Amino acid sequence: MGTCMRPNKLNSLQWEAVTHDKGHLLIVAGPGTGKTHTLTQRVRYIIRNLPGGKKVLAITFTHKAAEEMRQRLSQQPAGVAAIDGAVTVGTFHQFCMDILRSFADKTDLPRDFQLASPEQIETLSRQAWPEKTNKERRLSLIDVSEWKAAAYDAPMPAGVQSYNKILRKEALLDFDDLLLEALMLLRKDPGILAALRGTYAHIFVDEYQDINAVQRDILKMLVGGETAITAIGDPNQAIYGFRGSDLRYFERFANDFPEATVLSLTDNYRSAKNILSASSQVMAGAGNVRVSALTARMYSEGRLIIHSAATDHAEAEYVTHQIERMVGGVSLFSFDSARVAGHEQQGNWSFGDIAVLYRLNSQRVALQKALDRSGIPYQVSGSAALDISEETIDQFYPSRPVEPDISVEKVSLMTLHASKGLEFPVVFVVGCEENILPLAMGGLTADIEEERRLFYVGMTRAKEALFLTRAERRFLYGQTHRNGPSLFLSDIEEELKEYEQPLKKKRRHQKDDEQLSLF
Amino acid sequence: MKFYADLHLHSHFSRATSANLDLEHLWLWAQLKGIRVIGTADFTHPGWMKELKEKLKPAEEGLFTLKEEYTKEVKRGLPPSCKAEVRFMLTSEISNIYKRHEKVRKVHNIVFAPHFQAAEQIRSKLDAIGNLSADGRPILGLDSRDLLEIALESDPLSYLIPAHIWTPWFSMLGSKGGFDSVEECFGDLTEHIFALETGLSSDPPMNWRLGQLDDYVLVSNGDAHSPQKLGREATIFDTELSYPAMYKALSDPDNNKGLLGTVEFFPEEGKYHYDGHRVCQIRLSPEQTMANKGLCPACGKPVTVGVMARVQELADQRQGRKPPRWRPYCNLIPLPEIIAEAEETGPNSKTVNTLFFQMLHKLGHEMFILSDAPIDTIQKAGNALIAEGVRRVRAGEVSIAAGYDGEFGTISLFTSAERKARAIHQDQLTLF
Repeated sequence: MGTCMRPNKLNSLQWEAVTHDKGHLLIVAGPGTGKTHTLTQRVRYIIRNLPGGKKVLAITFTHKAAEEMRQRLSQQPAGVAAIDGAVTVGTFHQFCMDILRSFADKTDLPRDFQLASPEQIETLSRQAWPEKTNKERRLSLIDVSEWKAAAYDAPMPAGVQSYNKILRKEALLDFDDLLLEALMLLRKDPGILAALRGTYAHIFVDEYQDINAVQRDILKMLVGGETAITAIGDPNQAIYGFRGSDLRYFERFANDFPEATVLSLTDNYRSAKNILSASSQVMAGAGNVRVSALTARMYSEGRLIIHSAATDHAEAEYVTHQIERMVGGVSLFSFDSARVAGHEQQGNWSFGDIAVLYRLNSQRVALQKALDRSGIPYQVSGSAALDISEETIDQFYPSRPVEPDISVEKVSLMTLHASKGLEFPVVFVVGCEENILPLAMGGLTADIEEERRLFYVGMTRAKEALFLTRAERRFLYGQTHRNGPSLFLSDIEEELKEYEQPLKKKRRHQKDDEQLSLF
Repeated sequence: MKFYADLHLHSHFSRATSANLDLEHLWLWAQLKGIRVIGTADFTHPGWMKELKEKLKPAEEGLFTLKEEYTKEVKRGLPPSCKAEVRFMLTSEISNIYKRHEKVRKVHNIVFAPHFQAAEQIRSKLDAIGNLSADGRPILGLDSRDLLEIALESDPLSYLIPAHIWTPWFSMLGSKGGFDSVEECFGDLTEHIFALETGLSSDPPMNWRLGQLDDYVLVSNGDAHSPQKLGREATIFDTELSYPAMYKALSDPDNNKGLLGTVEFFPEEGKYHYDGHRVCQIRLSPEQTMANKGLCPACGKPVTVGVMARVQELADQRQGRKPPRWRPYCNLIPLPEIIAEAEETGPNSKTVNTLFFQMLHKLGHEMFILSDAPIDTIQKAGNALIAEGVRRVRAGEVSIAAGYDGEFGTISLFTSAERKARAIHQDQLTLF
């Protein structure tokens, strides 16, 4: 989605980034600073000044981002044809797959290799490690992935050897293989490297904070000589450490690509002032030095509402009730103005403007129940936070063509991870509790600073209203948890917070209570 | 054949409806009220659809009747004088909430289907995009235009009527979530809209103020949330009894002979006729609202703008103009309310209920009493004050404090002096 507040205009910092002519460039682009717009404009700027016969390469992390980039570039005045000839847009995996296919005869890989599906990997890993339990096998697969993504310069462990052997026998590669085999090919064959460097005068990399070792090494091979790099990203939004991304590469950009310039975009065009201030305070909470102050360019104050519910069900009811109020009397045929509180009456929000974000997919159950009862239309979007395979698939395969079905507006339910890159006028972050944010459950303790960034990502999705809710008692994974408020909440100054009390009981019930108390 | 139809109502599966909104009670009350064809309502709801299929059987083309076996229980409450055939037509109301032209729109629409297959097709398409189980009138983030398309695809005789088009919060022309024209709402499919529902807070003369509505037939329905409210507004047909005949009467501009007119509330009685704030107890005429710059004199916040003001905002015709294809109408007040006024008691009281059924036994269904029964027979069946009340309603000699911001308007048919006179005469003597 991205922000597009100034479709054709650029502010001075964006302009500086777009027209930078002095070698490698890292653009630090916080939430809502016009990252995609700036990157697109820079690609266009570079294309205009390309030496004859040269092209640029634009690498994204997800297929969706690649699609968006293509679409934005084709809308440029230069025209579709000119852009098509000059730019290759794709994900890391697509780019590496193309290299391996183009130079198949220079590799040791099986001819016409295919990509292993998650089901094939499941089956073949049983063959590779027949003695292991399911849990052990899953852990082994993570080990394999970690070696392939970051530790490949160390000797290949026996586990990886046996797994690879089985895969190759079936002429299959896994996702990590695509990157690693491409890197190995580039290292081994200077001719191919020279050809690629000769083709691409400039390489663009989006979401650079999510880069891992093998991706960094591929870029280091490709960049140099006549080939320059522009990377863009936000270190405060690095949330994929659990799958091998390493924020250090962002910080080391200037070492990896000598004489690189680092520029920061600091004008936020998305979030209202209070929301932006609160999210910055959360980031700064741990004495974080990476924070570069963002300036709100939205004029509205915005609302930051804190609500504490007794249980996860009460929390879900609260969210549902708030959505009904904001969209305005959804469940009622008729109502009077008192049912829609003052400022909300001015809100021009429909279901599609609202997102409910959670840390764990399991939190969704209570929300869905409440929404189902209310009849509020909603959709669950994005992939599971910890489901690596699903996300990897999304990176590689083209998204399914949009069906010509009628479009409808719905409230979006998704994990905090899946919300990255999106924006909504109204955002609920539910489960702002100890042990959930930051996550520490079932023996799993997440990196607290990565959790902080994840919370920051969630908060900065909101444009006009942000609800941070929690449940004092939550039923999750078969037991009731009593969690205190998330420590991140205490990093927000009180002045910005608006506390909303639990829902008042319906009058009828109150009467009942009164009557009961008489006896 | 002349008959009354009320095609917008709800089942007990809709929110805020009475528990006895089942087919049996609808069948009973349609006869008490004098309505020949009623909507099934809520055919999008899976539970209600199941009941419809189980309890209804085909009658004339596109119409259904309640199977004999289900009438037994409720039959006991039916005065022989009211006994009549009742037909059901497959209908469902949808609450469409979506953004169009950067504004949130909330429009209620009624969808009509000529047979179960078409209704099922509409149901399954909507089922794929929203939750149909929570409410008999489902909330969908679906554009009205797209709902119309889904309806049209199900059968050539399926159609859509925008509901109570002036209600501020949920309607096509409403001040809060509406559009400024039919075309703005339905875009390229506008030509498939041929009828509009006036709703309780507006009557035909108000709608005639808009030249853009001249090409549409105006219909009225009761939007009942309990069986007792059935037929409080209705459309009068003069066709053979069948779905295609009724469709033709509504949709064929050259042949609207089949449409005799509508039965209306006094629009002032509707909940949103005037402007104001219910909590502040501030009721404003459109002129007063303008003088107050749209703000509530009590709390200073913008008032809820009612139907009258909205009509005036969009009006481009003088008051009293009749469009070329205008149909007659009459304003009625439900009989229980007239009795309640005469008896100085609540419309749900036992006194009113007793008198109501007593009159129905003697005279026939409510619609007959209200619009056709001679005044002296009403007097014999009820009493003089009730008879005078009916006469006054027919003559439009009614004083109403207009409804506003969700508050119904309040009627007064009699002055305190008249009531006093009645007390003296102990209601045995002829007063007038």
